[in-house]
Amino acid sequence: MMTTTRQIRRVGARSRGRRVFQAAIGAVLITSCSDFDVQNVNAPTAETLTGAPSREVLARAAIGLQTQVFTSIGGMIQQWGIYGREGWNLNGNDPRETGEEVRGPQDPGGRAGGIWSGEYSAIRSLNTYEAAVVNPSGGLTATETKAGLGFAETLEAYHFHILAIRSGPTGIPIDVDRPISDPPAPLVSMADAMAAASDLFDQGYADLQAGGASFPFTFVGGYNGFTTPATFAQVNRALAAKLLVHRATFTNCAACWTQASAAIDQSFITTTGLPASLSTGVYFGYTSAAGESANPVTEALTSNRYWVHPSIITGAQLRANGQPDLRLTTKTAEAPAPRTLNDLTGTYKPVMYNDPVTRGPNLDADIPWITNEELILLRAEIRWHAGNKPGAIDDLNLIRVNAGGLPVTTLTAASSDDAFTTELLYNRLYSLMWTQGTRWIDARRYGRTGTLPIDRTGDVVHQNMLIPSAECDARGLKVPCSIGG
Amino acid sequence: MRSILPTFVLVGALALPVATQAQTRTITGTVTVVGSGQPLTDATISIVGGTTITRTTANGRFSLIAPDGNVTVLARAIGYKRLTKTVPAGQNTVDFALENDALQLESVVVTGQATTVDRRSATTAVAVVTGSEVTNVPAPTVDNALVGKVSGINLQSNSGAPGGGIQMQIRGNNTILGAFDPLYVVDGVIYSNATIASGRGTISAAAFTAAEDDGVNRVADINPADVETIEILKGAAASSIYGSKAANGVVVITTKRGQAGATTVNVTQRFGQFRPTRTLESRKFTEAEAVDEYGDDVAHWFANNPSPYFNHFDQVFKPSNLSFETVADVSGGTDRTRYFVGATNKHDGGIERNTGFNRQNLRLNVDQTITDQLKLSVSSTYNRSTNDRGWNNNCNNFECHGYAFAYTPSFVDLRTRDEAGQYLTPDWGTNANSLQLTDLAKNHEETNRFTGGLTLHYDAVTTSRQSLALVAGGGLDVFQQNNSLWAPNELFQERTQTLPGAALEGNGNSLFYNWNLNAVHSYDFNSFSLHTSGGLQYEDRGLKTSRITTTNLVPGQRNVGQGTNTVAQENITQERTLAFYAQEEIRLFEDRLLFDAGMRAERSSMNGDIDRYNVFPKVSASYRLLDLLGEGSEIKPRIAYGETGNLPIFGQKFTLLNTPQLGGLTGFTVAGASGYAGVEPERLKEIEMGIDGIALHSRLTWELTGFRRNTTNLLLQRVPAPSTGFSTQVFNGGKIENQGFEAMIGGTPLQRPNVQWTARSTFTRYTSEVKDLAGLPAFRPPLSGFGGLGVTFIQVGKPLTQLVGRAFDADGNRTATDVQIGNTAPDYKIGFVNDFTYHNASVNVVLDYQHGGDIINLTQFLYDDAGLSADYGSDEWTNRMKGYDNGVMTPYIEDASFLKLREVNVGMTLPQSWVNRTGLRSRSVRVGVSGRNLLTWQRYSGLDPEVANLGSAAIRNNLDVAAYPPSRSFFFNITVGF
Repeated sequence: MMTTTRQIRRVGARSRGRRVFQAAIGAVLITSCSDFDVQNVNAPTAETLTGAPSREVLARAAIGLQTQVFTSIGGMIQQWGIYGREGWNLNGNDPRETGEEVRGPQDPGGRAGGIWSGEYSAIRSLNTYEAAVVNPSGGLTATETKAGLGFAETLEAYHFHILAIRSGPTGIPIDVDRPISDPPAPLVSMADAMAAASDLFDQGYADLQAGGASFPFTFVGGYNGFTTPATFAQVNRALAAKLLVHRATFTNCAACWTQASAAIDQSFITTTGLPASLSTGVYFGYTSAAGESANPVTEALTSNRYWVHPSIITGAQLRANGQPDLRLTTKTAEAPAPRTLNDLTGTYKPVMYNDPVTRGPNLDADIPWITNEELILLRAEIRWHAGNKPGAIDDLNLIRVNAGGLPVTTLTAASSDDAFTTELLYNRLYSLMWTQGTRWIDARRYGRTGTLPIDRTGDVVHQNMLIPSAECDARGLKVPCSIGG
Repeated sequence: MRSILPTFVLVGALALPVATQAQTRTITGTVTVVGSGQPLTDATISIVGGTTITRTTANGRFSLIAPDGNVTVLARAIGYKRLTKTVPAGQNTVDFALENDALQLESVVVTGQATTVDRRSATTAVAVVTGSEVTNVPAPTVDNALVGKVSGINLQSNSGAPGGGIQMQIRGNNTILGAFDPLYVVDGVIYSNATIASGRGTISAAAFTAAEDDGVNRVADINPADVETIEILKGAAASSIYGSKAANGVVVITTKRGQAGATTVNVTQRFGQFRPTRTLESRKFTEAEAVDEYGDDVAHWFANNPSPYFNHFDQVFKPSNLSFETVADVSGGTDRTRYFVGATNKHDGGIERNTGFNRQNLRLNVDQTITDQLKLSVSSTYNRSTNDRGWNNNCNNFECHGYAFAYTPSFVDLRTRDEAGQYLTPDWGTNANSLQLTDLAKNHEETNRFTGGLTLHYDAVTTSRQSLALVAGGGLDVFQQNNSLWAPNELFQERTQTLPGAALEGNGNSLFYNWNLNAVHSYDFNSFSLHTSGGLQYEDRGLKTSRITTTNLVPGQRNVGQGTNTVAQENITQERTLAFYAQEEIRLFEDRLLFDAGMRAERSSMNGDIDRYNVFPKVSASYRLLDLLGEGSEIKPRIAYGETGNLPIFGQKFTLLNTPQLGGLTGFTVAGASGYAGVEPERLKEIEMGIDGIALHSRLTWELTGFRRNTTNLLLQRVPAPSTGFSTQVFNGGKIENQGFEAMIGGTPLQRPNVQWTARSTFTRYTSEVKDLAGLPAFRPPLSGFGGLGVTFIQVGKPLTQLVGRAFDADGNRTATDVQIGNTAPDYKIGFVNDFTYHNASVNVVLDYQHGGDIINLTQFLYDDAGLSADYGSDEWTNRMKGYDNGVMTPYIEDASFLKLREVNVGMTLPQSWVNRTGLRSRSVRVGVSGRNLLTWQRYSGLDPEVANLGSAAIRNNLDVAAYPPSRSFFFNITVGF
């Protein structure tokens, strides 16, 4: 009996000791499991999108993509506009505007390295979004996933298109959807970059077509009429057609004319309802609300900044009544006083983003992204080169008459390619000026940079922008770098 | 049988040594103070070479179990020199009379969470400052009080504003982007030294808003009167026990505790004043010059006086109002319960009108012996600080004094008022009147803080051979800081703004807590002893700050709800660390050789990989050569290697999303700064060597230390290829090096029964060099200064603290690129502490010398910019203006060398007969006067070479942009003991 009691007591003591020990270990384990995965609650983190993103989070991300799509448009209008002599910046607070940009040498650490990081930042957001919508633990249906993907792919292709235009022969990296710890994506040629962008447009088109009746997100301003997968698919085709035309001219892709012809027919191009329907299309929608994006180029007539290049004033064709092209008179206005800086004199100001009545700045003014007017011009170009020259002249005349108030062209199907190009580029300039640097791009596409006006001895027309120094540095390449090394 | 076997083995192991030491006796005796014969409580009595330890009771008595044979008994008490006596076999009593330890030879040094070692044996350099050294002369804050007293440290006030604002660098700058202030531990509780920006710079248009706020680092809340000792762990081997919070050193503060015996009460009352040390003059004008530069409007200033000259500095900065401090403490207890209660109420007036600093502290420390084996110690304190910081530093809208002075011509009398009693609307081109600003604007800060800690000490095993103690400790430190600022609409500066009137409410909520479990085992073999410790630590640090700023106020209203343009901000950071450590200390050759090795393994929520344990090892050794320089002398060579870390900054591992808004919809986009998911702590590796000594019968002591430390795995920021979509990314890499030499020499040149002179001098020199930037090009770190006005620049092969900018070449032409134009780090620093005692009187003097270091005088630059420099038109002015006109700052770079008479304290204990005659039933009365920063010799032409406009910058010191001016203080003190 005694022994048993003692044994029981011992066992009890031992198990009590064990309990204490277990409790101690338990305390340690509780602590070590205490939340070491401390999240940053000061701002949303990328993990919001890489985890199991909810429908609402994905909708927010899609809004974000819409705010980044026009990240470079201000620079495209001003800088490409200056490169292509659509206008000047005569503010005088930055010598580069009348120096480097029209005379060189180009600085890859500064202006000539622009329109790059913002584009790739947008592409990073797009790739993050594309990965998020296909996440099976996310909040979208299969159809909605397709719609989201198609939207993002369209935007991504557009960004690559801008990058390919800016860089031209230096090439750009395309395969950038990789961890930051990986080596930077290789540079590819302009032809390959544009081909990749075409593929992305096509992928986006396919996904939009499978995207059901509505997008799983809302739209900011500027997309009126194109806010369903089916209608946005028409925008996709419009942008794709434009890229194909660029491929055909920039990179001698003969087959691209045919593809462009197919794409433009699937776009929202229309010849009914002219001239009102010229402005049908998508826009970059700005607002003057606090903390939001206001129109980046609008300004008062008295501002010293942006001036219309005099060649645009003098080069306008005359209407039957002897007045200049309507597109000139509606898009420019004489400033109260001319401005001369460094031997450059501006007399007219662009006013297409000003209040049409007061002519004052309009921070809410939208900037066209792609419109029916541009599509008709694209179709004219496509038809000419795809063998439908009478159709091309018809399209040109639609623009001359409806947009410019001009008489029909004297060109015929028998006119030379050169004469057609001259007339095409005239109309493209007056229809698209101050929206996307079209004069510079078109001159480059047709090898006509030598025909752009040179205002001062020693001024030049730059053929492309440069890869920014930081990009070369990160690749261990000597600045300026290009696909050649 | 099988089930009880382990228990048996364990008991056997513990019992075994006891069995071999069965023959014991009990030695008893008393410990008293030499001269007075007062019994000493809490003296430690031990047998040399053994592990048995006992303490004296309230009447100084002890009883100690000792082996039978001859033994050497050692008696020690904090603040007294140790004494050993041989007790032969058969003798069972021994008494000790201990001498004052003026040179602090007997302090103990922290070596681990629950372990200490005698300073005599320490394997690393030691910096200990006692409470009386901290409180001899009233200091605004505890860190202020350390100036000039310890080697290896660069302490610099950011400005002269009341209530603190100090940077402490221990052994140089060791990081570029990481945290740069030391870790503070108060009674085992990790103590926040956060600097929460007030928001002043936001209202007064500073360039770097938070950094230029002249914030208070919150160590300012510690009551200097509570301090028993401050120990500064400088080297990596010493601080490695604190892991990746310790790269900038650790400041371990121990507060006062009660002693058994009669209740003692001390009340100290101080009265004093702060006075400006210098002034700033300005250009003198004739009426013609004034009208020429400022127009006809200013002619009226000359109406009654052809040469008006008003010193605006003197109109705004004046001797402070009465400053005072009341400190009362009550302590005492029994052998089992001891307590210390302290209370302080302090007011420091500011030399700027309507500024000042108040602090109230209440402390209760209790020690309770629960059983003979189990002891509980509790520390707790509540602090409340209020601070009116005034309006100084960089203010691009002139809403600060010094900045406005630089642009206000001297013919203007700021005091002038119109018939209605209002200040004259400025007609001199600068919309500012500093007197109006001091009248109307508010920059108020209020902090409430509780810090409490608890330690449970359990002596599980105590035999003459071995001991095992289990120690559990922890505590919490919580504070709430509120900043309330108001720049009312009436201010001339505000009237001209688009949205006049500004109000700001800022709040900071900090909660730190930590706990630890430790086991400490000692085993004494006859020829050596082993001391093993190990344990577990958990630390949790959280800080939440929020701020509401509003402008366009309703006139007369200061509520942030009364403005139309309101911005709200919030920031939350949280860090958690779990660490395990193990440490082994081996003592050989009768404690002469000490070998110490340990490691800490920790995981932290700040790291990219939160599951990974980073290991921080240390190893060190010392050997005491006895009697080499005469009997009782010791020479101790020592060597130590250690590694510590510096945690990533909160947020560095996260990639954030921007939230752009368009058409009222908010979107997400990926932000430009890429997080680094693999981010790791910076790692500091240091080798330290030294030779310490004690000679001339303990009247001379020295400590010489050389160190070389490398911080590797630095937190750096690179620019990735922009095609990644990111513009910056933090990464780990690179290396910076600091090497240096520090020395302390102390002695008692004079030691007679009634006359004593103790002197101690410290020397500090270190240099830094950027060794490697992992391929990064040289760069300006954040808060490097103002572009073009001399900035710090991180460049391989150069000191971390270099300043670069344009200079003039040999031909007097401006250089095409930036070159090194200075270095803010001093060449060396010397501190000199003297204590004289004559009968009942004493004098303490602290001198602080800094040699070299460059300072940029941007205050002068502002005066030059305004054309209002006092030396306008002189050769010096012409020389400076050549630099000004060419964007060359070298004429504004000056030598920051200084010698400051930091502290003088004269005190006297009144003879008891006088005291008795007063009828005051007090034990003692001590009266005295003291002063701080009484005299300064400096080469610098500005106010004070000790200034840092960007106070919360890791590297940038010595930047003078119209800071709160320095002051000297005088106090009359009386202490009555009951």
